[in-house]
Amino acid sequence: MSLNSILNSTFQFIKERFPVEKLNYHSMVEKKEVPVHKMSWGYYTGGLTMFFFMIQVITGLFLLFYYQPTVSEANVSVEYINKYVAGGSLIRNMHAWSSSCMIFCAVVHLLTAFAMKSFVKPREITWIAGVLLLFITFTFGFTGYLLPWNQIAVNATKVGLQSIEYIGEYLPGQLADIPRIIRETFQGEASVGQSTLGRFYALHVVILPLALSSLLGLHLISVQIHGMSQGVDKPAKKSEKFMSIFIFKDLSLWAFIFLCLFTVSLCVPFDSFLPYPLLAPFNPLGSTPAGIKPEWYFFFVYYPLELLPFWVILLASMAVVGVLIFTPWIFKGTSRKTLGFITILASLYLVVMTVFGEQIYELFKH
Amino acid sequence: MTDTLLFIVLPYLAVFACIFGSIYRIKKEPLTYSSLSSQFLENHGLMWGSLPWHLGILLILLAHLFAFLFPGFWQTITSNQILLLAIEAIGFSLSILCLIGLVILSIRRLTSPRIQAVTTPMDLLVIALLLAQVGLGAAIAIHCKWGSAWCSGTTTPYLWSLLLFQPNLNFIEDLPVLVKAHITCAWLFILIIPFSRLVHLFAVPIEYLFRPPQNVVWNNSRKTSKVSSTFVKEETRRHFLSAGLGIGFGAFLLSIGAFNKVFNFFFGPRLSKAEETELMEVRLAHLESTVDQRKLELERQASNYILIAQMKDLNPTSGKYFIDYQMQPAIAFKGKDGYPLLISAKCTHLGCTVGNKVDAQGRILCPCHVSYFNIETGQPNAEAPAKAPLGHLPWVIMNDHGEIMASRNQNGQTSCSVQPDALASGRVYISKRLEEKTT
Repeated sequence: MSLNSILNSTFQFIKERFPVEKLNYHSMVEKKEVPVHKMSWGYYTGGLTMFFFMIQVITGLFLLFYYQPTVSEANVSVEYINKYVAGGSLIRNMHAWSSSCMIFCAVVHLLTAFAMKSFVKPREITWIAGVLLLFITFTFGFTGYLLPWNQIAVNATKVGLQSIEYIGEYLPGQLADIPRIIRETFQGEASVGQSTLGRFYALHVVILPLALSSLLGLHLISVQIHGMSQGVDKPAKKSEKFMSIFIFKDLSLWAFIFLCLFTVSLCVPFDSFLPYPLLAPFNPLGSTPAGIKPEWYFFFVYYPLELLPFWVILLASMAVVGVLIFTPWIFKGTSRKTLGFITILASLYLVVMTVFGEQIYELFKH
Repeated sequence: MTDTLLFIVLPYLAVFACIFGSIYRIKKEPLTYSSLSSQFLENHGLMWGSLPWHLGILLILLAHLFAFLFPGFWQTITSNQILLLAIEAIGFSLSILCLIGLVILSIRRLTSPRIQAVTTPMDLLVIALLLAQVGLGAAIAIHCKWGSAWCSGTTTPYLWSLLLFQPNLNFIEDLPVLVKAHITCAWLFILIIPFSRLVHLFAVPIEYLFRPPQNVVWNNSRKTSKVSSTFVKEETRRHFLSAGLGIGFGAFLLSIGAFNKVFNFFFGPRLSKAEETELMEVRLAHLESTVDQRKLELERQASNYILIAQMKDLNPTSGKYFIDYQMQPAIAFKGKDGYPLLISAKCTHLGCTVGNKVDAQGRILCPCHVSYFNIETGQPNAEAPAKAPLGHLPWVIMNDHGEIMASRNQNGQTSCSVQPDALASGRVYISKRLEEKTT
């Protein structure tokens, strides 16, 4: 293939994904219609994820007013927000609850989009941007977990970062050093300390939000250009206008969810599921307390990691990531029925590992 | 004299006229026993005017009625400062809502040609009186504050005295002019009820809100094309009502709590002296521990020996944590041979800090993934996820004059220059020289 033809096909690819003639308000908003069928609820999951992201941004900005990213002040400032600032515990609680909700919605969004086969041409870019958004969301969770600088936060981060270094054992020769270098870059010093906190803070507060926002822009623009995917095999008989029927339904769902989130944040502290020793300020001179574990949304990889040899998990997760990214090409010809079956299996795995992970672990280890 | 006329004669006259006028009207002209609907003439302004007006005035009137009917209970709740504040705030907001609705309704009545066609002078009088009355009410809320509280001693007993036919003006004769005007105006309203559209008060058109949508069909040809849109508008009334109620309730909640919180969030807490002291102490403690940490790091750079503990403080079963030259945690025990036993506390699996309590088999536990390490050999148990042993650290013991009494090198060889009993007075150090030798 000559250079010229490669260039040509590249341009052709981009042209089909971003048709210039559709880049206007009329075809992106006014003309857009949302199909009505029994999987229509799937169309709301993405918007809901974005809604939670918006809550994260707003509550995050609130928290920025008081949070101080230093090893001596971090925990005190979080306590200060909880204890003294008016509405501080509510805001922090909302940030925590909404982060979990955001990850949950993002995963559900991924699963429904997969089951509805919303990734086929011309929506490949939308799908890939979405997968990257999911990874960024998980990174948000990992970096945010450290910021309160309590026992569970620092120790779980230590374990998480050390796991990266573990990969080195499976790499040949000079490559074996790379995971260690990566870990040290993120950690910044010999042990998880001030440098780590500073790096995680910068990631969590500036770099990841910027990355997520720009990718989200790409994701949304491509969604609006190509419209909602058909979602089911037989084209739906009914459809509703995106503007302004669907958008109002979306908004009323957001309002209802906000009410729920607000009530839950008001009544149930997010930390209340953990025993206090894990929430005590981090003490560098002391044993790691028992019960260190990551947030619930990492359970699906954490418990298998505890049970199986590391290389199994490493290979499996590399395979999953590869499949996720190349889904638009791998499952191009698969029927929606098969995709639905795969989705149900994947959801079952995720639910069982998240809910019963600890019991399964106990069962096999003792 | 005027007072007697306005507050005794007028009330009885008004109530008498109201009762008999209403009965007369329902007997003679039952079909007029409501307000003349103008919705099919003009709907837009009606929606934005009528809804806030009725929402507001209904609640205000109910509150007035409640204060009159249950004076004891009303007094109890208004004597609670927070409840009083809430009642006053809600009442005032509702009166503003009423005023907004009224203004929109009056503009509509005065400017819409279609409405003008059906407007009677009585309608204009009613709307003017209503504006005056609600305006007076709002003014009282501002100028004669806490009306919901002081009404228990003034207007309520006055009304009861009228009801029991023992009119007593003492209760209200010293009230400000504003309040007196408000009361007079109220009697005027009762007086004109049977003669105006206000009679719909007795024919509360509640079912109007829930009846199935009605289709207004215009017989003249120019309207036929718009029939369906009329239908939709009729249907939207109920949606609008529920949305209005929802938004109103939400705005009410927001105004009471959330805004206050949001503002105060940025305003920042104003701490009491005790709280501030407590906070300062916690901050200082955290800073001091950070300072200690930094000092340790500096000490590792500068000095060849780092003090771990007094020899006599070491214990065979409960170790003492310290930070070694690589800034990693380690634990100091007293070994079986009587010498110090220094072992790394960084788990060789994923880097958790190992516990410092020795169990019956002479092992310490890493709680993260349950690895038991033998402190003598450093080896993990067979099933443990950790495979590599924990390393031992070399040490020296010095006396008070800095003379080395005993030491152990990286290879585990111990040398001792004094009687073992004398070691108890010594101090245990880790030594940079000893660690560097081997690395």
